[in-house]
Amino acid sequence: MKGALRTLIVFAGLILILAITLALFGLDVGAALSTIWNGAVGSKAGIARSLVRATPLIFTGLGMVVAWRAGMYNIGGEGQYVMGGLASATLALVVRSWAPAIATPALLVGGALGGALFAAFAGWLHVKRGVQVVISTILLNFVAIEFLKFCVRGPLQKSSGGIFQTEALPNTLMLQRFDRQTDFHSGFFLALIVVVIVAIYLYRTKSGFQMRFSGANPDAARASRFEPGKKQILAMAISGGLCGLAGAVDYTGLIGFVGDGFSQDWGFLAIPVALLGNLNPVGAAGAAVYFGGLFAGCEVLQRSEPIGDTIVPLIQGVAVLGVVGMQRWLENRTNQSKGAD
Amino acid sequence: MSESVPDPILKIDRISKRYGSVQALNNVFTEFFSGEIHAVLGENGAGKSTLVSALAGFVIPDSGEVVFHGQPAPMGHPQRLRELGIAMVHQHFMLVPNFTVEENLALDQIRSLNSPLKLDDLTSRAMELARQLGWEINPKVRTGSLPVGIQQRIEILKALVGDSQVIILDEPTAVLTPEEIDDLFSVLRDLKSQGKAIILIAHKLSEVMSIADVVTVLRKGELIARARIAETNPTQLAEWMVGDLPPSRSESESQVGEVVLSLNEINVKGDRGEVAINGLSLEARAGEVLGIGGVDGNGQLELAEAIVCIRKLDTGSRTSPEKIGYIPQDRQRDGLALSMSIEDNLLAGALEDSNLSKRGLLKSKKIKTWAQKQVENFSIKIGTLSDPVKSLSGGNQQKVIVSRVLSQRPQLIVAVNPTRGLDIKATDFVRTQLAQAAEKGAAVVLISTDLDELAELSTRTVYLNRGQLAESLVGAVSQ
Repeated sequence: MKGALRTLIVFAGLILILAITLALFGLDVGAALSTIWNGAVGSKAGIARSLVRATPLIFTGLGMVVAWRAGMYNIGGEGQYVMGGLASATLALVVRSWAPAIATPALLVGGALGGALFAAFAGWLHVKRGVQVVISTILLNFVAIEFLKFCVRGPLQKSSGGIFQTEALPNTLMLQRFDRQTDFHSGFFLALIVVVIVAIYLYRTKSGFQMRFSGANPDAARASRFEPGKKQILAMAISGGLCGLAGAVDYTGLIGFVGDGFSQDWGFLAIPVALLGNLNPVGAAGAAVYFGGLFAGCEVLQRSEPIGDTIVPLIQGVAVLGVVGMQRWLENRTNQSKGAD
Repeated sequence: MSESVPDPILKIDRISKRYGSVQALNNVFTEFFSGEIHAVLGENGAGKSTLVSALAGFVIPDSGEVVFHGQPAPMGHPQRLRELGIAMVHQHFMLVPNFTVEENLALDQIRSLNSPLKLDDLTSRAMELARQLGWEINPKVRTGSLPVGIQQRIEILKALVGDSQVIILDEPTAVLTPEEIDDLFSVLRDLKSQGKAIILIAHKLSEVMSIADVVTVLRKGELIARARIAETNPTQLAEWMVGDLPPSRSESESQVGEVVLSLNEINVKGDRGEVAINGLSLEARAGEVLGIGGVDGNGQLELAEAIVCIRKLDTGSRTSPEKIGYIPQDRQRDGLALSMSIEDNLLAGALEDSNLSKRGLLKSKKIKTWAQKQVENFSIKIGTLSDPVKSLSGGNQQKVIVSRVLSQRPQLIVAVNPTRGLDIKATDFVRTQLAQAAEKGAAVVLISTDLDELAELSTRTVYLNRGQLAESLVGAVSQ
């Protein structure tokens, strides 16, 4: 209950920050907010756009929840997303002749595995070699992005040449779409299913319990024979797997190829999503939908107003800073009122 | 005062100090003289640390006074006592590892924050003293990169700089290698010949015998004896330290069954790779409480962790049962996840319980009912089960651990100082629970530094000293 109230306060605060930002751009705040609102939820197309933006954020946000709950501060969602997309696109070269009912799931599993291995490496470095996971995952982001550039200029480059991207995935292998007018695809439903699975795993299984306990106090987990090191590597693998799955879903559901601009910062935005969701799977899904709507609305605003194309990243940045700042502020308030008791 | 007996430089006059229900010092009287090395000897909890803390001004006694050069010394003013000439070398060094030697020495001398920092001026006296002592210390080296023995010398330099006449060293050998101990002792002899009064806190008899001129023995806050080393011997000192042991519970009270735990010639390393347990063998049987006594830091933690299979054996073999309950010494570090709920912390000890989970899935409703029952059975005072465990008092936190251990009816229970820091009621509770578990057929290994606790609970007691077992505590301390 407290957590829900807190999330509501943060939501409301975000809207206020948003209004101030728009005013600074010299926009009519009321009109601009209503454009964003309509762009996000005002029409079937708007809702579809919001949910499509929310889909990768749900996966990556869940990824952060799992890792951070285990005490592994994974900052490498971006790299894991890229590696997931790349793994999926590589696998596509093999499975393109298979029956779609087998090939498409294989592409998703492949993407998840790609992200999982990439993140598990950072987890292993942390547990066995004492390399802080924060540092290694930040650096591995750069490795992944450079590796992406290399792949789409070399081994995975489209045969017709000239463009730095992979072969387009045949339409038959793409995730199902429900409407010709929108990009909405079945990846969103997959995301919802995964929310439930992750929630069950963390809160209703022995392994998930041991993982959370290991995150809360690794020494006590060791004394209870939970093998916290293994749990933390597993947490990184699951976390990276979810981010990799996000990449694979975007590849098979929305984009259909992997190119230079494949990553849209979904791996980074996952962090405020997880924080806004109180490191809770359902909360993170809610936060992902909220951010998805915000971004979708801002895209419409950008098209309707002569304000240049910086407004979307700017609002993203302001929103993220706002979330982190408000969370911190609320935390301090709670701690202070406890101290006064 | 006759001419042949000089006045003491420092006198402790009937000092008493009480912490809650514990009388740490009771009317302790002793005198220290210039040009002497005076050891203060005692077991854990004998009151040594409280005594020197009072001397150095870190603790204000309830009654009594410290007399320095015939004048009452200001109590509770470490800085003023230091300026008077009473300096302390702490067991845990007060050095900044990332600073160079000269920066650490200067840090100690800085009296004002708005005068310009001249490292050479601030450290010249200390470096001069180092030269006089024949120490070659490079002032430009990062302190953290130096061996422990050299770091200790920097601490000693800090103590000497103010022309201190009394140097107090709190267990200075605890962190040193044998060679470093020899070096330290020759430094102490040098200082003694310069007319300093050296006060050495110790619990190792061999060291006291080899370096001290005079010894004061404390036990449970009481002054037991003061003697010249030349007029005493190790056995006498050990008896003073340990006193008459309370009678043990007789073995006939409980039925002793089959061997549950056996350790065979095990070697175990500590966290820093040092040998912690050295060729130790022991057996524990169902129904007995095997007490393992001894002074802290002799391998207790490593032995406990080896028994419960969370620390690797270097060599040797171990036979232990499937169901082991572990009550670690430090409940907040090794026992509980403080931010998680009371229910979760109870569950942490019962995950293998087939009533509470099935094929890896947790049965939430059953867990809730079970946790509620634990709280009632062990009368743990809580708000609700979902409150974080850190909201509980220390005694109730310990009850959470004890209850989750006992609920699983383990064949073997390992408890390390299970009542440390608890009030009398909680202590009684924990001890009763352990005794009952043994009566019901568990083997209990109780590792404790509290002799009364061992006497009350153990059916058999052995003592741990430098990673090996001894049959008697006198034997353990006098080795």
